[in-house]
Amino acid sequence: MPGPKKKRFSRRNFIKLAAGAAAVGPFFVFRPNAFASEMTLKVAKWAHFLPEFDDWFINVMAAEWGRQNKTKVTVDVIPVEEIHKRAFTEVTAGKGHDIFIFPWPPAEYHQHVIDHVGIYQTVAAKYGAIQQIAHRSTFNPNNKKYFAFADFWVPSPLHFFQDNWAQVGMPLGPVHYGGLLSGGTRLRDKLGIPCGLAFSPTLEGNVTLHSILYSHRALIFDSRGNLVFNKDVFAAKAVGYIQALCQDTGTPEQLTWGSGGSVGAMLGHKSSAAINAISLLRTAEKQNQDLARKLWIQPPLLGSSGMGVTALPHVTNCSVVWNFAQNQDGARQFLADLIDTSRTGYEKSLGVNFPIYPKTVPNLIVRLSQDPQANPPSKYTALKDALHWTPNLGVPGYATPEYMEIFNTFVVPKMVARAVKGESAEDAATAGAAEMQRIVDKWKQAS
Amino acid sequence: MKGIRKYASLFVTTLALVGLTFLAVPKAAAQQDGPPGGGDADDTFNPPPCDYNNQFYADNGIDVTQLVGRFGDNNGTTRLTGPPATGNQHNYVADSTCSVNDPNRRNFRILATTGGNSDDNNSPFTCASGNGGPNCVNQSFLEPETFEFISILAFVDNQNAFSSAYLRNVGLINGGLEGVQQNPGTGISIGQTSLGETPAQTLRGFAMQDIVSNFEAYAALKQTTPQGFALNPCSLAMIKQLQNPNATSVPMPCFPVNDTVVNGQPLSDVATPNLRQDWRFATNRNAMDGSDNNNPAAATVVNAPFGYFCDDLLGMWIITYFWVTAPPNDPHCGPIYQSIGAKNGFNTDGTPIVLTAFELNTELEAQGCGAEAKEDPMGSDGGAVWLICPGIPDPRAGGIAPDAFLDQVRNSNGIPQNLITTINFLSLQIFGVFPNELTQGQMKKVMQAANGS
Repeated sequence: MPGPKKKRFSRRNFIKLAAGAAAVGPFFVFRPNAFASEMTLKVAKWAHFLPEFDDWFINVMAAEWGRQNKTKVTVDVIPVEEIHKRAFTEVTAGKGHDIFIFPWPPAEYHQHVIDHVGIYQTVAAKYGAIQQIAHRSTFNPNNKKYFAFADFWVPSPLHFFQDNWAQVGMPLGPVHYGGLLSGGTRLRDKLGIPCGLAFSPTLEGNVTLHSILYSHRALIFDSRGNLVFNKDVFAAKAVGYIQALCQDTGTPEQLTWGSGGSVGAMLGHKSSAAINAISLLRTAEKQNQDLARKLWIQPPLLGSSGMGVTALPHVTNCSVVWNFAQNQDGARQFLADLIDTSRTGYEKSLGVNFPIYPKTVPNLIVRLSQDPQANPPSKYTALKDALHWTPNLGVPGYATPEYMEIFNTFVVPKMVARAVKGESAEDAATAGAAEMQRIVDKWKQAS
Repeated sequence: MKGIRKYASLFVTTLALVGLTFLAVPKAAAQQDGPPGGGDADDTFNPPPCDYNNQFYADNGIDVTQLVGRFGDNNGTTRLTGPPATGNQHNYVADSTCSVNDPNRRNFRILATTGGNSDDNNSPFTCASGNGGPNCVNQSFLEPETFEFISILAFVDNQNAFSSAYLRNVGLINGGLEGVQQNPGTGISIGQTSLGETPAQTLRGFAMQDIVSNFEAYAALKQTTPQGFALNPCSLAMIKQLQNPNATSVPMPCFPVNDTVVNGQPLSDVATPNLRQDWRFATNRNAMDGSDNNNPAAATVVNAPFGYFCDDLLGMWIITYFWVTAPPNDPHCGPIYQSIGAKNGFNTDGTPIVLTAFELNTELEAQGCGAEAKEDPMGSDGGAVWLICPGIPDPRAGGIAPDAFLDQVRNSNGIPQNLITTINFLSLQIFGVFPNELTQGQMKKVMQAANGS
């Protein structure tokens, strides 16, 4: 695959060419800008929860890559809540950035991107095969193409304030969803502190609610891609559980929080638990060490009906090269080279970004158990089994266009809002299922 | 777990064949009897189960003072008699060989051997899937892939039993080798913040509570009450988990989920007399035999992060209570109950015996005919949240002692509900082998013993 590196013009080549030109004589016309012209590579990325990661990505990683590849790299950082709209605008216009980096699998754009299999193949030679979470997040089983390239993911452990939960007899946290409801109820009654999971139409609300649905066996699609939501009682039961969780343990703001709302509430010690990326704990460590000490993380809550311990990834970092990109070769090379920096990326994200290629951070477990910022240093060992309890968005199937449109149009948060605002769980689940069916039908017609 | 038995058998046989000339392993000696095993003293090389000692509990993050109904407590009187034992039967016996066979045990040998089913034939070596293979040769209907034998050592009724901090020094040498050898030793520690540890995490970096969340044991309490057939537990919090999240009160009648005291002894809510069917153990999310098949890069992910015998060293389980939510004659659920019961049999109350996750989750719960819940981790429901009930790794060749008895659910006429479990238990107890290794004469003896059970 030709990349910008092949366009490099070395000092030795220049001397050879100059000598040749001298031999040809004065008739040779030297174009002064011919060798100074740079390629350009335009990158759009979602704004990371920790700004220091983006600082490094833009000013160090991308800048250095640009220098090495004689390419002017521009990076536009887009707030998470605007990512979907901006991508849609570019696709509609057929122009924009060369690389667009999403915090989730952008399956609905599969017709507007290159097949990324070549990038995976390039990287595989150096770092081995990808993890299942990446495959199922970026592969379209219908056309057998990779619609995106994933390089890291972010787990979603339970964060809880140990001091709060100890006061209601659960010093080690709520363990299972039943405990979250019963303990959260006591906690709000006793201390006036709501549980504080995000239920709003945001990324964190989406991840939280989709995780709760899945943990209650309320599947949206089955493993073959058939829409199964509300085909049995689990959907209504799960919505009913969330309804009860909100009413008995929550606060009305949970439904309307903007991006980072639950993080803000937790950092203000105004809520007692959240399902979130560890950027929450990292921010606490930076802002308030005493608060961070009280904030514990644990693997996800144990679900019911045989679903075990699971939580969906808070982020699956998926890059696409648009099929209308001006510099597709450069974009491919950039993404392949990105993996060489995964280790630094892990460090610059303060351990938030888990590598898709484990070889890039081979001592991940040791790092988790000896974290210099954490108090105590082993606090993050709760994540060392995170790959086992994190399935992909779309589980038990793939991240399909239908699933991702349901995700990105916030069908689930809207369904939950209806239930919390007074509709019965059954009616809300029925309405949610109808909207999902509409989306599925739309994609069926489009195909 | 059955799979490991088979592998153990294969391993021992191979070892005996390879090393017969120079290895005096017990099984090699047993080979002299010729198969099948004859029940001689030299055929009993697996020690029967005993309680763990306090130190081992503590090393694994459990505060023994918080255990409920631990066998052997109070100078060997706690739960010595009473369920699951009947009449003058004892649940355990003082036995000084326990700590000799295994220094992590204390000298109370467990006689009460509880039978249960591991669901879904999830042993990787199962024959039920039709994969066949050498391990499946000579398997009879008497030897299903699903039974387990466990020892219910104690109950855990609230989260306080999980230690948040613990430290024990091991390896200290002060004055060995004529007074010149010194070694400060090292610590087995849990949650020692001074050592950089997270509260409640064991040395391996996992909190015991989180490990146990991967091992679910399913308890089915009797739903018949003096007031009639109960369709829900007497716990609003449990009802709200799946059955009716918006419930505001407990519908009556309800079946109790709290411990009681009978004749001065604690009687757990999950004691066998309170069960309508034998235990079920989920094996679809963990590796019961210790073989972690997990390969995250594989086409099919086996989500088995923990192995039962290698990670859950105390053999703990979190209890999931399950029940039917409609009476047996319900027009919608009744036919579903009949369908499951036709395969597995029925409980004395007319509800079907549930053996697999598919039956519970897909056939019952998904249709609104069943529900499940876990008790409050802080203990407000008053019953068992967790169990300390290690499975017997290899029940052959002495694993089931001659004085052990089988604890299993019985029908109202006193006959064991699951006779396959009974026959396997007796075969193992009398001859030290599974039924498919018995001679006809031995099988006859087992059947005679079963008739007397």
